[in-house]
Amino acid sequence: MTAPAPLLRVRDMAIVHDEATQATPSAVSFEVRAGEVVLLLGPSGCGKSTLALALNGLVPRSVPAEVRGSIEVDGLRAGIDSVARLSTRVALVQQDPDAQIVTGSVLDEVAFGPENLLLPVEEVLRRSEDALRRVGLWARRDDDPAVLSGGGRQRLAIAAALAMGSPLLVLDEPTANLDPQGAEQVYAALAEVVAAGDRAIVLVEHDLDAAIGLADRAVVLDRLGEVVADGPVDLLRDRAEELLALGIWLPTATLAALRLRSSGVAFGRLPLVAAELREALAAHPVAVPRARSFPPGAVVPQGEAGGNDRAGGRTDGGTASARALVVARDLRISRRRTPVLHGVDLSIAAGSFTAIVGANGAGKTTLLQALCGVLRPPKGSVSIDGVDVGRADARLLGRRVGFVFQNPEHQFVTSTVLDEVAHELRRQGLEPDEVERRARATLRRFGLEHRAEAHPFLLSGGQKRRLSVAAALVAGAELLALDEPTFGQDRERAEELLALLSDLNAAGTTVLVVTHDLQLVAEHASDVIVLGEGRLLAHGPVGAVLADDALLERSGLRPPPLHAALRDVPGHPELAAVTRFAELPSSGGRAT
Amino acid sequence: MAEQLGRTDAQRRAAPRSGTRTSSAPRSAPLERLNPLTKAAGPLPATVLLVLVRDLATPAAFIALALLLLLLGARLDRRNLLFLALVPAIVLTTGTSLSLWADPARFEETAALLRVGGWTLHAGALETGFATGLRLGAITALALLSGLTTTGPDVARSMVQQLRLPYRIGYTALAAFRFLPRFGHELEVIRQAHRVRGAHAGRGPFAAAARWLGTIVPLLAGAIRHGERVAMAMDARAFGAHPTRTERHVLRWRAVDTAAVLLFWAVSAALLLTVPALAG
Repeated sequence: MTAPAPLLRVRDMAIVHDEATQATPSAVSFEVRAGEVVLLLGPSGCGKSTLALALNGLVPRSVPAEVRGSIEVDGLRAGIDSVARLSTRVALVQQDPDAQIVTGSVLDEVAFGPENLLLPVEEVLRRSEDALRRVGLWARRDDDPAVLSGGGRQRLAIAAALAMGSPLLVLDEPTANLDPQGAEQVYAALAEVVAAGDRAIVLVEHDLDAAIGLADRAVVLDRLGEVVADGPVDLLRDRAEELLALGIWLPTATLAALRLRSSGVAFGRLPLVAAELREALAAHPVAVPRARSFPPGAVVPQGEAGGNDRAGGRTDGGTASARALVVARDLRISRRRTPVLHGVDLSIAAGSFTAIVGANGAGKTTLLQALCGVLRPPKGSVSIDGVDVGRADARLLGRRVGFVFQNPEHQFVTSTVLDEVAHELRRQGLEPDEVERRARATLRRFGLEHRAEAHPFLLSGGQKRRLSVAAALVAGAELLALDEPTFGQDRERAEELLALLSDLNAAGTTVLVVTHDLQLVAEHASDVIVLGEGRLLAHGPVGAVLADDALLERSGLRPPPLHAALRDVPGHPELAAVTRFAELPSSGGRAT
Repeated sequence: MAEQLGRTDAQRRAAPRSGTRTSSAPRSAPLERLNPLTKAAGPLPATVLLVLVRDLATPAAFIALALLLLLLGARLDRRNLLFLALVPAIVLTTGTSLSLWADPARFEETAALLRVGGWTLHAGALETGFATGLRLGAITALALLSGLTTTGPDVARSMVQQLRLPYRIGYTALAAFRFLPRFGHELEVIRQAHRVRGAHAGRGPFAAAARWLGTIVPLLAGAIRHGERVAMAMDARAFGAHPTRTERHVLRWRAVDTAAVLLFWAVSAALLLTVPALAG
């Protein structure tokens, strides 16, 4: 077979954003051939999303930036030819499905692109039908996109991209805003597209477990935005340790194997997918030793805070000896006259790191808000440290619980970082000197003292998040509650936040968090509350709950990927209950 | 497939997959089959002139006309019937409250209808109050002729197709409409977050204004970012590539539209000229 000319040729690309001083990406050259599926990987901030937007010319034609180098697609030059012309060669699917939908029906949405291309009506309809059938949405062509699930809307965005008829499809973090079910749907749809083989794909994705099976090649950028690796996806196993050190997320099976290898399990080649991991383990005759004692969050400095050693035999509902901080008795909440919670009883131990999980519509956010008084619970049904949340005034609640909303910007109420932290202290009626002293101390603790006079909206994403947590905790709240804090963030940002929460937890703060990322739960939480249709299905130590496959299935949840990979390895029953990396022998490398 | 050619949103809703074309969509209501511009242009002169009318009978006649047309020509599902009920509700509440609020001294020469203590309801106050109520009701009823039988996308399409509005404006406006529910939800979340943090707590207009301002900044910041992303998504799908774009939903201006507009104008003129005389 002779190699055809490349479809996409990127040469020496360097992009400097309007407000930035450094180019990210700084030196990128690669090629994509027709029908190839290429993963574009790199640590957060290396410019992979910028690069994705440059492939059809949106950068710099819609997003101002200084661009060096060249991008050629099928005879057109991105950034020089118009985005509209490029759109017939490069179709784009972005992260947020809601920001891509512009019409009122599924069919109109897919037809929108071909209509702009001035194609005859018959061709518009032919392409629309074909694209909708490929993502399984043809039967819903008359529906309003708003009634589709998140996964459904993202599949619609893929169909809309397919209908452009372009030979190259660029997807920028297409599953970052989706729950696991939605992500599964999107990958099933993408697998169909790949199987048809008529499109080349450039995929920016952090969830490599789903993406690895589809990809032919990987192009890896380092933190500065230079290409450090370009080759078949096998490079992820052959250069695993090097990539890990660069801050690249690797597939679950590869990460697990790196740890297992240090305890003597022989891997001819590191595995990339769960099946390869199981195969290698099945050939290994001796039982794998498990890490004997492990803290719930492996990245937390161990044994510093008293009462945080929750390893091993914990009892139901958290540490048996610990005092109950939050207690709910027969908690019932209705929203718009529809009951959402049907009598929840629970008790959250002081010092625990508790995750609330459950399928969509299970009532997770409602429970979190009712426990913290954001949604006023009925009198007598919830208490925090003995205070009845249904009766407490805002000031009293402010000293007991800090609540962090999903989008930090939503909760900023002042115009400087310092005031933002001082706000709650002033509300508590403290003296100005005391307010200033404590606010500055809190900023130091969260590494924000150098931005004290900045406007909160001008902070970076990670700083905004830290500020929202700082403001929630400044008045001495013992309980920190967060609603989906990792939604829409890349893996590295999510890890950074969870590490911060683990640190706070180690220092004594009780953490309560709603999330749908069960691997993050496994790595960081001590206890898990499982909700299903407004009822408590389980509440117990994280290891026991997440290893209970029947329970997870009943709750409409997917097991965390590590557990899914290890639960049924022939000859290794000792791995059946493993849910977190910290339970595997240490790899000696970067903790994950 | 090709059966959907040329059918409007309203018709697709009314008769999904019925396999018919514009000219002969049998199951959609008659008013829905008219061009959106017809339903705006027809009642327009009457709507303007009603503002100047002072009697009771003329607005009542227009209410009767509009409701009759809607009962015969629009689909009578629950939503539409609720909107129809709005018309008498407006007439009654506006009419009653204006009658009661009017200064009795102004109407002392007219007959006294009701005395409660020292307060008197004069016939003149009642008449003026209900004249205003009926005018408001009539204007509402005329607006419903188009409002209940036309979808937003069809209005945009007819503006582009018949009035030659540049499609970049028409369809961008349409896309922007879809932001509204999202912003409503986002505003709710921001308000909740600010309440939790006790932002600008307190009573009075100043605290309320500060609260409002405080929620506008994050809402705008979010809106601008969202708008930019949507604009990029539209660019990436070749929006604006050509001077025109393919129209799958062709809205035609047909003879029946011209006839309907002229007929409505004629009936409007007849009512405006004869009813005050008849009633007077």
